[in-house]
Amino acid sequence: MFSHGIMPPLMFAGMICFMVIGFPVAFSLGAVGLFFGLVGILTGHFDALFLQALPLRIYGIISNDLLLAIPFFTFMGALLERCGLAEDLLEGTGQLFGPIPGGLAVAVILVGAVLGAITGTVAASVIAMGVISLPVMMRYGYDMKLTTGVIAASGTITQLIPPSLVLVVLADQLGKSVGDMYLGAIGPSILQVTIFLAYVAVLAILRPNSMPPIPPEARQPFGWPLLRRVLWGMIPSIVLIFLVLGTIFFGLATPTEAGALGAVGAIGLAALHRRLTWNLVRQAMSSTMTLTSMVVFILIGSTVFSLVFQGMDGGRWIEHMLSGLPGGQVGFLIFVNIFIFFLAFFLDFFEIAFIVIPLLAPVAAKLGIDLIWFGVLLCVNMQTSFMHPPFGFALFYLRGIAPPQVKSSDIYWGAVPWVVMQLILVIIVIAWPGSVTYWLDHGPKVDPNSIKIEIPLGGGDAPPPLKF
Amino acid sequence: MQFLLRLSRGIDALNQRVGYLCDYLILIVCFISAGNALMRYTFSYSSNAFLEIQWYLFGAVVLLGASYTLKRNEHVRVDVLYANLSERGRLIVDAVGLLCFMLPVMIFLIYLSLPVFLQSYASGEKSVNTGGLILWPAKLLLPLGFFLLSLQGFSEFIKRCAALMGLIELETKYEKPLQ
Repeated sequence: MFSHGIMPPLMFAGMICFMVIGFPVAFSLGAVGLFFGLVGILTGHFDALFLQALPLRIYGIISNDLLLAIPFFTFMGALLERCGLAEDLLEGTGQLFGPIPGGLAVAVILVGAVLGAITGTVAASVIAMGVISLPVMMRYGYDMKLTTGVIAASGTITQLIPPSLVLVVLADQLGKSVGDMYLGAIGPSILQVTIFLAYVAVLAILRPNSMPPIPPEARQPFGWPLLRRVLWGMIPSIVLIFLVLGTIFFGLATPTEAGALGAVGAIGLAALHRRLTWNLVRQAMSSTMTLTSMVVFILIGSTVFSLVFQGMDGGRWIEHMLSGLPGGQVGFLIFVNIFIFFLAFFLDFFEIAFIVIPLLAPVAAKLGIDLIWFGVLLCVNMQTSFMHPPFGFALFYLRGIAPPQVKSSDIYWGAVPWVVMQLILVIIVIAWPGSVTYWLDHGPKVDPNSIKIEIPLGGGDAPPPLKF
Repeated sequence: MQFLLRLSRGIDALNQRVGYLCDYLILIVCFISAGNALMRYTFSYSSNAFLEIQWYLFGAVVLLGASYTLKRNEHVRVDVLYANLSERGRLIVDAVGLLCFMLPVMIFLIYLSLPVFLQSYASGEKSVNTGGLILWPAKLLLPLGFFLLSLQGFSEFIKRCAALMGLIELETKYEKPLQ
């Protein structure tokens, strides 16, 4: 444990103490870095010269082309989540599937997947589906635990399904291309939706009373008006998603540009649904600004931390500890997944991505683990952090909007089967790497990194000079 | 104390303006970046100045918007303990954190990044890309952003102290940012 000196373990423990106090993470991380840097300088474990690199690192963060995608995807989601798409989708799809037992639950899962792709925020999906579907499902006699569980779980699909912001950040931290990351996530996303649907189907057969069909008097006649309504809600948004993803997959644009096009497309989509108002745009701008600044500041804080941590050989300490685990690759993956599962009780995705992933990635690479597989796997794992009681975000949002007759214990117990299903998915992805790499191997052979931005009169698309 | 509270209100007003400016930058940068991509494919035209302005604006949103984000209490926290503290406990955690964690870090970062900007400004350093922009405005963003954050941190510290002394009411309820 102390083969690389006592400082790295102390610093790691210090980080946990500083963060648990509850002061904003970005600043706590910076403080823990500087505090241990100072101690290290005094005890001769750390060279003050390292710190001179900080302005350069921070400058590197703001001139990072990939991180520029964060405001674009956030803005796109912020616009779409407020423009009433969710309502159209849920009501229409609910009517479509409603007449079969469990149909409303199926509608929630499918709409969750579509909403996840277009809005990109778990909160937005859970709140929209909770407000619209929860009362309907309660009215028609759905089991309360099942209702809350399916809504919360379908909201978290957002994390995994491309174009997810989470995958952009993971790609940046793992040094992989976003296009590959998205391709890799397709398989597990499909698997997850399938597992959820299969669970509902099995329950519909075993316990049909827990999910009755909507009664005939509440049904709309099946026919063109209903279909048109569903299609009108779905098709423009699906077209937008495919445009964004397609331009990335086929190498027509960088992920950042695709995000910008998606953001502008979202404005168009909102206008198409006649819901574009200045107020909507203003709110989306404001929430995008604070979210972008908040996320990138965690990265700035963690840069201060990791510069000092690496300066004291902390990376080698982690590597030494983890590469000695029994079981090679699988042993490492099992350990890391259990570790992240528990970490996710306390930390958000962005904190994990910026603090923990950079420490784990070199070890994974050294063990010969495909980093795309690794990233998607961790992404699947971190979905559970939205779901486990009592801190899970999705449950928290659902509690916030659920009517009083929904008991908190229903929400908590309702989440359990879905967490188990997500963990099963983690196991499947570990045991079957092909679920991730299948699309990579057979997908279009264009590396999004190979897109060259043509510059007049030469010069190339080299990153801006980092001379100081 | 009344003087300090007035000062704090002044800082809040300043950073609120800067925050609003950053809101608009989001919209502008979306259109610039989408425009860049479209221009390249439709007219095969591309300008380094427009490619560089994207991340100048991104840097401005991140660094200058952070102070307004702090004012709105939207920097994410680990709230396992924090959420269960009393009102007074949260004020104390914030005051101590601002004074011992945030302000020293910000002042140190200003100390590190200011010479970098001054050097770039004095030498009139330009991007090496053809038609690229001058670099000092981007480098100014670092010390300027950290300075605004220090100011906002100071303002928040004053408000926490005043609230602890019972002079003002302060909402300390923290909600995690949506994600």
